[in-house]
Amino acid sequence: MNGALSPRLRGLLALGGGGLVAALATGHPELAVLATPFLVFVGVSLALAREPQLTACIDLDRTRLLEGERAAAMVTLVNEEAHAAEVELGLAHSRYLTLEPARPIVLQLARLATVTVEVSVCPERWGAHSVGPLIVHARDSMAALTWNRRLGERVAVRVFPREQRLRELVAPLRMQPFLGAHVGRSRSEGIEFADTRPFQAGDVARQVNWRASARRGSLHVTERHPEQASDVVLLLDTFAEAREGARGTLDAAVRATATLARAHLARRDRVGLVDFGGTLHWLEPAFGTTQLYRIIDALLSSEIAFSYAWRATESIPRRVLPPGALILAVTPLLDERSIRLVTDLRMRGCDLTVVEVSPLAHTTPGPAPADPLAFRLWRLQRDALRARLQGLGIGVAVWGDDETLGPALEGVNAFRRSARHALRA
Amino acid sequence: MTLLASIAIIVVAAVAVAVSVALVPSKPSARRHRPPNPEPARPDQLVRLERLLVMARVSALQVHAYLRPILVEIASQRLAARGQTLDRMPDATGRRILGDDLWEIVRPGRPFPEDRHGPGVAAPDLGAMLEVLERL
Repeated sequence: MNGALSPRLRGLLALGGGGLVAALATGHPELAVLATPFLVFVGVSLALAREPQLTACIDLDRTRLLEGERAAAMVTLVNEEAHAAEVELGLAHSRYLTLEPARPIVLQLARLATVTVEVSVCPERWGAHSVGPLIVHARDSMAALTWNRRLGERVAVRVFPREQRLRELVAPLRMQPFLGAHVGRSRSEGIEFADTRPFQAGDVARQVNWRASARRGSLHVTERHPEQASDVVLLLDTFAEAREGARGTLDAAVRATATLARAHLARRDRVGLVDFGGTLHWLEPAFGTTQLYRIIDALLSSEIAFSYAWRATESIPRRVLPPGALILAVTPLLDERSIRLVTDLRMRGCDLTVVEVSPLAHTTPGPAPADPLAFRLWRLQRDALRARLQGLGIGVAVWGDDETLGPALEGVNAFRRSARHALRA
Repeated sequence: MTLLASIAIIVVAAVAVAVSVALVPSKPSARRHRPPNPEPARPDQLVRLERLLVMARVSALQVHAYLRPILVEIASQRLAARGQTLDRMPDATGRRILGDDLWEIVRPGRPFPEDRHGPGVAAPDLGAMLEVLERL
């Protein structure tokens, strides 16, 4: 019997004890008579109290979810003791999971009974979350003693970021010599028509364009653009974020990164990831679905790690940034180190585009009278920063959390088309 | 009289006991088993600007050393988008485009304030300057 006295029993014990002390102090035996039933009740309750022998298990119908989807947690509780008990059940869970019902469930558990309760689990954002263990506050049938137990195992729930559909991607400047979905600018074997030219020694017969040859009176062959792939490196800035409530720029940045990774891998590009912040993580560029799951798994553990450490381009391993790779930096542009990084990469001739996750939606002016002015000045300062980056040849796609990413990328492509000569320099 | 007093004490005590027992909670209060939400994170850039504007109201040194470079960067970028250059802008043109107050701060070659502890920029004046920059 190692339970704690219940609040009711503590109250009754205090009343009984107080009555006895008052009887002794005042010399009125009536008070002792009045206190006796309470003390008898306390004694009987303690004598009859039995600790409930409870076992529990937690089962989730799905442990892999998309943001916004729900899972059902079946909580099974078994009372192995031959006495009834009253239990209050609560499920421990991660910060970004919402449970329904949110409040603890109170159950009357008959002797040797098994009870199953369904709890709905809804993730508020992506991440590696967990449900469990079950936190049980049990009382015996007379509510004399209470026992607090943690039962069942923790169940891991992986919530993947909800992705958007992209019709247009940032077109890389340089291609790699392997088969992909981008139409290359050079001329060799492929599907896309480029031009016709006179037959030369070494041309194969199936390249001969018979119509053009007949029209011009000499053999002509068809030249085609090859289908090529590119290297894409996604740079996720985890130095700083703007957060208000459960939503922040990092949440949106991870969604954008997952969207871009899936879209580029679908076009048979090699995609790599650099998580650039207080701690540095990276994945070397690779093809295929396996790489997509590697990237998403790496993204799920993304968090803002506070650090004073100055990081520069040299911190990134050279093999993670292949020559000619398109670098897509997903950043709120809030930390001087990330701004220096993108500037530095561009100065080194990298083909770089910034997807700016706008922090304006997650920031409000402060309460002081001058704070709205500071907020306006900050917006102007960010505009100036964006203009400075564009002046360096970095396309900047400004993207709000609630907007679609496609139009922002189209704007970047328009900028890159107009600045292509400067970009190639 | 003593008997009456004893009876009264017992009756009052009984009522008090009944009320006390009724008030003792029979069920523990509901608990939540979830860590609290993280604190709101305000961008450092914005927090620094808020502090700067507080100081810039009372100190000419703060205006010249810290607020002026920010305003110059913004004004240069806005003017460059119109094909104009702040560094080579004539005084009359600068006053016409930016207004006297803003031009007085961002004009090229502005000297260091003689009285470094002199007053800075009042909030309404700064608001007017920002309006000019936003309109550019």
